[in-house]
Amino acid sequence: MIRALRQSMAWIHGWLGLVAGWLLFAMFATGTTSYFRPEITRWMQPEIAANRTAPADAAATAVRHLQRVGADDVQWFIALPDDRTAVTRVFEQQKPPADGAPRRRRAEELVLDPATGAPVAARDTRGGEHFYRFHFQLQLPFPWGRWLAGVCAMFMLGAIISGVVTHKRIFADFFTLRWNKGQRSWLDAHNVSAVLALPYHAVITYTGLITLVVMYMPWPIAANYPQPARFAQEAYGLAPDVEAIGRPAPLVAVAPLVRDAERRLGGAAGRIVVSHPNDAAATVTVTRGNAASVGARGVSATYSGTTGRLLSVTPPPGPAITTANVLLGLHLAQFAGPGLRWMLFLLGLSGVAMVGTGLLLWTAARRRPGAAPFFGLRLVERLNIATIAGLPLGMAAFLLANRLLPVDMAGRADAEVAAMFWTWGAAALLQCVRTARLAWRDLFALGALAFAAIPIVDALTTPRLAAGDPLFVAFDLAMAVMALALAFASRRAARIPAAPVRRSARKVAHA
Amino acid sequence: MLMGRAGSGAARRWRIRPAAWAMTARCLTAFLGNYAFAATAASLTARLLPIARVEATAWAMILSFLLYAIVGLWCFAEARLARVAGVVWGGALLMGAAVWWIGVRP
Repeated sequence: MIRALRQSMAWIHGWLGLVAGWLLFAMFATGTTSYFRPEITRWMQPEIAANRTAPADAAATAVRHLQRVGADDVQWFIALPDDRTAVTRVFEQQKPPADGAPRRRRAEELVLDPATGAPVAARDTRGGEHFYRFHFQLQLPFPWGRWLAGVCAMFMLGAIISGVVTHKRIFADFFTLRWNKGQRSWLDAHNVSAVLALPYHAVITYTGLITLVVMYMPWPIAANYPQPARFAQEAYGLAPDVEAIGRPAPLVAVAPLVRDAERRLGGAAGRIVVSHPNDAAATVTVTRGNAASVGARGVSATYSGTTGRLLSVTPPPGPAITTANVLLGLHLAQFAGPGLRWMLFLLGLSGVAMVGTGLLLWTAARRRPGAAPFFGLRLVERLNIATIAGLPLGMAAFLLANRLLPVDMAGRADAEVAAMFWTWGAAALLQCVRTARLAWRDLFALGALAFAAIPIVDALTTPRLAAGDPLFVAFDLAMAVMALALAFASRRAARIPAAPVRRSARKVAHA
Repeated sequence: MLMGRAGSGAARRWRIRPAAWAMTARCLTAFLGNYAFAATAASLTARLLPIARVEATAWAMILSFLLYAIVGLWCFAEARLARVAGVVWGGALLMGAAVWWIGVRP
């Protein structure tokens, strides 16, 4: 009974991992990178200095700017800077035109200098946001990318559970890694990377599904709420929307409100929403930043926009909503300080290694000595090369494009993204003209060269590295380490002897 | 596993065997039927849990993924396809009917 269960679980583990493996590898790689989303953005906009303005003062300068450009807006959404984010980001929700003319296009996001409130002049880039978005949208149109990522995450969850059931010696495999033994070594490496960080893999997979739970599993809401929007209001403790009165009234100074909210909520303010500014019904909602606690979706305080009186504070949520907030927070990890952040980054890399070794294991287990590989094996092998060796090259191209494209080029942000996918796509196609062994070696070597070029190009094109800015030193060092790791991989790949081809593997397997 | 290899000629080589139909049905049950099963089970739980509706809804949503993963794997662990299909599709139908019959929480 147990034996049959193990066998069926081993079978499904293999298929789940194979079908979703390549996308999971990319999701793990870009997701792990996204632990440093604000830092990557800052590296990619070297014109912007680190922020030294307190949230309350940044709120005041942003409001001053908005009063000039959008005094009659419906709503201002202001994301405040902190010690990781260098700029204030603002979204305006503008009034629909009164004469029934078509609605103006949604205003672009404004990026402001926290100290002065003036729009910042910096190169146009998607920054760390690109890897973050790709991680769960896979560069596909809404909602398909998110659904595909959800299916992959669910396959991952199934693979984790079935992998644990398959596994007989979960404790012993902690300590077992036999190098240079072909398939045995890949199995050991897969087990070590999977077992060592098993709690992390399980948590990151489940919490990943939770981040989009309202999209993936909306049916319980439909069973309990005649108006589904009410659920979000109750879950996040939002004050109900108020209508504008139409009578003008000056907006109070927001900085004292932000300071008051920080005292009440016990943490630095993360964002502000000003509804109906300069109207008698104006409100100012201050929400605590996510660095203050594990649970994401911080509590908030709402004030009258004309008198500054406190109207409401979000009530403490119940156990289920608290659980959901903590699960979400564990995935986003915005609570983590630098030490824990690096730890999580390394655990994320163990996930990359687990998926990668699992994919390699699939081919290693099916290759027969002295036999030509059958079609499926060749296909999987080429996709492995394109993903495992090709993706790092594409990611390096994205970062290099940020430094090498002209600073004031039109459509620059999109060109950087295009650089990543054209490089990755070209690498994936061109490797097919090489034997698998040489393709592994060459793509890894190209990746190593590209990553090694990043610190050099950075030093030549921007002054921040030479000035000893810690963020730039750490970033460029990480790129150098990545280059070394890929160079090592390239050397290892070159050493695997090419098997002499005699007869079809299928014939051997079925002999 | 899916494609038949019983024949000798190229024409017969790719004929799909009954076992392949069974495996297709099993995969569809584990993937789609299971989603209906998890969605209706979560909806019924959310509707019937005697706690605040926002809490009941959140618990049901959070736990639905665990249910989906376990039932999905069971679809492959259980050898009898009829039993798999009966439990998953039948369960989804019954629970869906129950949710519809009880109606939205007042």
